[in-house]
Amino acid sequence: MKLVIFAGTPGSGKTSVVKYVIQELKADFKLFFAKFDCLKTEDDEFIAERYAIPTIKKLAGELCPDHYTALEIPKIIKENRDKDIILLETAGLCLRCSPYIKEGLGINVLDVISGNPDRYGPILTEADIVAISKGDLISQAEREIFRTNVLKVNPEAKLAEVNGLTGEGVIDIVEFIKAFPEIKTEKLTLKHSMPSAICGYCYGNKIIDESAVRQRYLAGKELKNLVPNLNCGKCGFKSCNEFIRAVLDKKAKKNQCPFIKNK
Amino acid sequence: MKTEIEKITILPGVNKFGEKEKFGKIDVKKGEIVAIVGPTGAGKSQFLYDIEKLAQGDSKSKRTILVNDKTADKELRFDPKRKLIASLAQSMNFLTDTSVKNFLTLHLKARGKKFDSGLIEEVIKEANEITGEPIFSETNLLNLSGGQSRALMISDVANISTSPIILIDEIENAGINKEKAMQILLEEGKIVLIVTHDPVLAFNTDKRIVIKNGGIVKILKTTLKEKGIGHYFNWLGNYGLDIREKIRNGEMIEKVKLFCEPIK
Repeated sequence: MKLVIFAGTPGSGKTSVVKYVIQELKADFKLFFAKFDCLKTEDDEFIAERYAIPTIKKLAGELCPDHYTALEIPKIIKENRDKDIILLETAGLCLRCSPYIKEGLGINVLDVISGNPDRYGPILTEADIVAISKGDLISQAEREIFRTNVLKVNPEAKLAEVNGLTGEGVIDIVEFIKAFPEIKTEKLTLKHSMPSAICGYCYGNKIIDESAVRQRYLAGKELKNLVPNLNCGKCGFKSCNEFIRAVLDKKAKKNQCPFIKNK
Repeated sequence: MKTEIEKITILPGVNKFGEKEKFGKIDVKKGEIVAIVGPTGAGKSQFLYDIEKLAQGDSKSKRTILVNDKTADKELRFDPKRKLIASLAQSMNFLTDTSVKNFLTLHLKARGKKFDSGLIEEVIKEANEITGEPIFSETNLLNLSGGQSRALMISDVANISTSPIILIDEIENAGINKEKAMQILLEEGKIVLIVTHDPVLAFNTDKRIVIKNGGIVKILKTTLKEKGIGHYFNWLGNYGLDIREKIRNGEMIEKVKLFCEPIK
């Protein structure tokens, strides 16, 4: 089985590229498509309907969508052992996280009119393939300058110039996917660590005030030590963090968590 | 070492239905223009992909592309820093907010070349031969008209870009002298591929490759008569540009020329 992660800012053309990749691969491989987003997406339904492949929708809700993606990857793999290729599209909101994994192929769909690539973080610098989109809107000269700038921040990247409207260039990505090795190990590793997200705001604090942030953080941390951190969902919430926030907001009772209750 | 491309040769592969393409080989030499025609979805992208990747029977179409009559070096096929085909499409715009001169310098730098004021002047001079409205080195890129932008893009591709093959995709609506533009690209020793159904461009070629159902079905050699027809349409287009300039200058136009001057 192979895992391919597509990351890129909203509007960069990720879904369009994924569409054409699926079209090229689906005759020869058993595919699965997972779409991650924050609040809402219909891309999974669209892909399922048009290409008749199994898909899943993953909404991060109160969680950081990239951390959530990393948490969910093992589950997706476990449930799809019979597939040849799992295609995963991230929410694409954060340039810093973009959870590429060492054992999978990381593809950054990068809009050529999105400015100088040197301000992008791991979403670009850690990608195996940079799919440069919307190149047909700018001059050849600017495209050449852009390519040079991409290679400055990610010299190892393979470049593909893609057109999300016509599918031109997607064939390059398909060849890279075909040539990429399968996942052989049970243990997956992130290519880079994600930034820490541990403060009162992570536990749902809204008051802009130092002591309020600290108080919320301490209360959150206390609960964090009690919950199993397995995101098992038995409390009725998608993740332990979401449950902790709900308890602190007095929207849930502590012993809704079976682990706390049984202690 | 860089391989200079003098000629590419396309050897037949198969169409969408797996049937062998019916041609011996197609040679395209440096300084030649070839039109690619055919309905949408016919397999134009695959054809260009085969050339860009110098396919060795390993692509979907199973075509083989030779460079200078030989199998292409690995180095030429897989170097990510290099692109064989530079392209000009219809909806292109400049987005960089800087002067023409600064921009060309930036492009030279991106290509790993040193600042060369002579070359930059040459790019602007040739761009001005393609468009009617003069471009100055201090003009801001964003203030260029459609025709000026396109003229500068063509001259830039001819002079600064190192890609030996230029692909032009449906460029007809621009306010430029198309024959002159082609001439400049060819003088710089490029191979020019044009995807077009515009008579000026399609007839201003050496041959036309007709693609249908994923396969090359015909190779038409452009005849002298067709070249004449193309020239007539080019004259008509340029005459239209003259009249546009007159309208821009607030002149009245109540008489038109009906016949074109013969090919020089």
